[in-house]
Amino acid sequence: MLATVPSAVLHGVDGRPVRVEVHVSNGLPGFTVVGLPDTACRESRDRVRAALLSSSLPWPMRKVTVNLAPSGVRKQGAGLDLAIAVGVLAANGDVPADAVARCGFIGELGLDGTVRAVGGTVPLVDALGAPAVVVAADAAVEAGLVGRHRVHAVRTLAEAVLALRGDEPWPDPPPAPPILPLPPGPDLADVRGQRVARLALELSAAGGHHLLLVGPPGAGKTMLASRLPGLLPDLGDVEALESTRVHSAAGLALPPGGLVRRPPYRAPHHGASAVSLVGGGSSWLRPGEISLATNGVLFLDELGEFPGSVLDALRQPLEEGVIRVCRARGAAVFPARVLLVAATNPCPCGQGGPPGSCRCSDDARARYARRLTGPLVDRFDLRVDVARPDPGELLAGPPGESSAEVAARVARAREIAGTRGVRCNADLPSPLLDELAPLAPGAVRLLDVALRTGSLSGRGLHRCRRVARTIADLAGREGLVSEEDVALALQLRAEPSTMGAAA
Amino acid sequence: MNERSERPWLVALASLPGMGPARLAIVLDGRSPEEAWAHVRDGAERVPEHVAARWRERSAVVDVGSLWQAHVDAGVRVLRPGDEGWPAALDDDPEPPALLFARGEPAVAVEGVRVAIIGTRRCSYSGRQVARDLGHELSAAGISVVSGLALGIDGAAHVGALTGGTAPVGVVATGLDVVYPRRHRELWDAIGAKGLLLSEYPLGVWPERWRFPARNRIIAALSDVVVVVESHAVGGSMHTVESALERGRLVMAVPGSVRSPSSAGTNALLAAGSPPARDATDVLVALGLDPEVQHRIAPPAPDGEAGSVLEAVGWEPATLEQIADRIGAPLGPVAVHLADLEGTGWVRQQAGWYERVR
Repeated sequence: MLATVPSAVLHGVDGRPVRVEVHVSNGLPGFTVVGLPDTACRESRDRVRAALLSSSLPWPMRKVTVNLAPSGVRKQGAGLDLAIAVGVLAANGDVPADAVARCGFIGELGLDGTVRAVGGTVPLVDALGAPAVVVAADAAVEAGLVGRHRVHAVRTLAEAVLALRGDEPWPDPPPAPPILPLPPGPDLADVRGQRVARLALELSAAGGHHLLLVGPPGAGKTMLASRLPGLLPDLGDVEALESTRVHSAAGLALPPGGLVRRPPYRAPHHGASAVSLVGGGSSWLRPGEISLATNGVLFLDELGEFPGSVLDALRQPLEEGVIRVCRARGAAVFPARVLLVAATNPCPCGQGGPPGSCRCSDDARARYARRLTGPLVDRFDLRVDVARPDPGELLAGPPGESSAEVAARVARAREIAGTRGVRCNADLPSPLLDELAPLAPGAVRLLDVALRTGSLSGRGLHRCRRVARTIADLAGREGLVSEEDVALALQLRAEPSTMGAAA
Repeated sequence: MNERSERPWLVALASLPGMGPARLAIVLDGRSPEEAWAHVRDGAERVPEHVAARWRERSAVVDVGSLWQAHVDAGVRVLRPGDEGWPAALDDDPEPPALLFARGEPAVAVEGVRVAIIGTRRCSYSGRQVARDLGHELSAAGISVVSGLALGIDGAAHVGALTGGTAPVGVVATGLDVVYPRRHRELWDAIGAKGLLLSEYPLGVWPERWRFPARNRIIAALSDVVVVVESHAVGGSMHTVESALERGRLVMAVPGSVRSPSSAGTNALLAAGSPPARDATDVLVALGLDPEVQHRIAPPAPDGEAGSVLEAVGWEPATLEQIADRIGAPLGPVAVHLADLEGTGWVRQQAGWYERVR
């Protein structure tokens, strides 16, 4: 007697459909699982048997063979438990085989027969072709995000069996938890003074320009960076689902309502390994921090302390927006479209503010600058020097503009960028710059001087023009990019020539 | 044995590790240099045992003849007190060097007026400019500029002095073939060609910490006036100042901002009574010379808005934000003016900090 049950396993951040084939025949009683299961998967034999017995369901005293098709693909995780249990029952004739074949099953079984949610429910459900899906009650909201399936949420195996036999209706879905508004993130109004840094933050949010903050400890670099996600608009449907899939696959808690609507903010410590940042792992290809931050902000504090090899690993994904992780056992593609924000001290002693105040030796400073001027610096469009704020301003200065006000301008600027056929100005292709970001005569003059004196490189020129376009967009100036826009963009450029710590 | 033929052994003795004038006097003590060399090879007395041991080791491998030949081949003159070309200023020195190694024209250190321009390696850009201008103006006024060829102020003073017309003097703390700092090789060669390079040490001697203060005392001794352009509260420049004061040389200091750490030492000197050196004229007046200085002609200062932005930059490093706040203007127009001022050479920007240059 044979039964086939649709289910899915996780591969990277994508689900792959798996057909669980169960065959029950005469012979010595036994239970084997074939089709490249990993340890957690193989152990499902014991969980499934115990769950059936605890649920007072019959266990066939015959030979049971389970094949996970396609058998050439490695399966990992406990999400196939429910499908195997239902398959055994169907093959034994305890539930109707046709009811089972029209429905996908995803869930882990407890020894007492409870059905538990597994990580990656969103991509797993997405991979199922069946019109309905049975998941754990805890995973009902996540499973509903895909939107193509009828979602049946069950708490126990027994509930699922009763419903499949038609003895009882599918249990009501658990009441959706009330969607409370997210606690507001840190607000830009808390930042006093720092006009230039605020401007850079706004430009970064509006134009998608990667931002490098340089300043002594205590200048407020981390404080500024943590306010960047609050300036970004909500994610669109496609982006939200993409981020949700990654977060779900990584087993992160999803926000109430299930969908990741706010841009994620990830700030890995500088001790992070290359694999934890870009993704990978030997038994299971996990998404890294850069993928978890996709459509949001990746903040690297103390950039100079990250090992060079780790930073180098970020270059290709930053360029392409995706990362291909390849291992002997397989390859996976993860999304990696982030807004990169990094912070660093100007020199090892951290005191390098105005020229002449740093206590580092020339060698130490040169070594530090070399680490920072590596190829990764090429990715930054904006560099801003954050000075320690004036104490008077901290205590008595007026609060700055709130995040909401700035976010409104950012949203408008992003709309304008959308009319140019790009997501944001950082993506403007260089051949189109003359058409999309034409320069006023004064602006040409300033760029000419900067190029002649060698303080601006050819590559820097394009970046400078994109940033100037964003400045003009934020100010509501369409058409020509003005002299002032370019002057500010030059001021905020991140060139190797502007990277040397003040001597 | 005549006096000339003793020099190879003297040079060999001076090349030993940790050998300064005091220890040289100890090992010579009534011996001829050749006897002293033998004495060192057998284990010198009256020096710490580990020093004597290192000398014994080193002297066993030094070939006196070829070391001497290297100096002859390199055109390095070896001077002893009393030689022609030995600086008279060192004759009554409390710690005179026993030997000097010279490349260039030794007369520069004997005749004429010499002024040392010294300062910190960790200087501000404007400090470097002041050092360069002082070096140029004093040199143009016929004064030989003495400095240590270090990074920062020292090097800038020499760069200015080379364009002024009077031969400069560079006193270094390594063998004349060991260029330190390396990036000053061109400057080093130019001083050797147009002026005089002096060292207390034979060829092949590497930089060591203790040699720099020793070098500083020679700079102080050779100069009639020592001008400190920028110095932190503690540092090598302050050692040179102490050496200069011990030798009764006039020490002048360039006034700096009270907030600039690189002017803390010079401002302290002023507070302690050093005369200020605002420009070359002040130095010439202090020397009792004709203060007719050919100042470099400065272009007219910008006026209008650019003028007020330049005014707001002031004479201390300032950020765009500070400058804009000072005149209460939005960032954009201020950035335009700053870019222009940078292009025309009025200000200079480094890592986000603007400094007024002239």
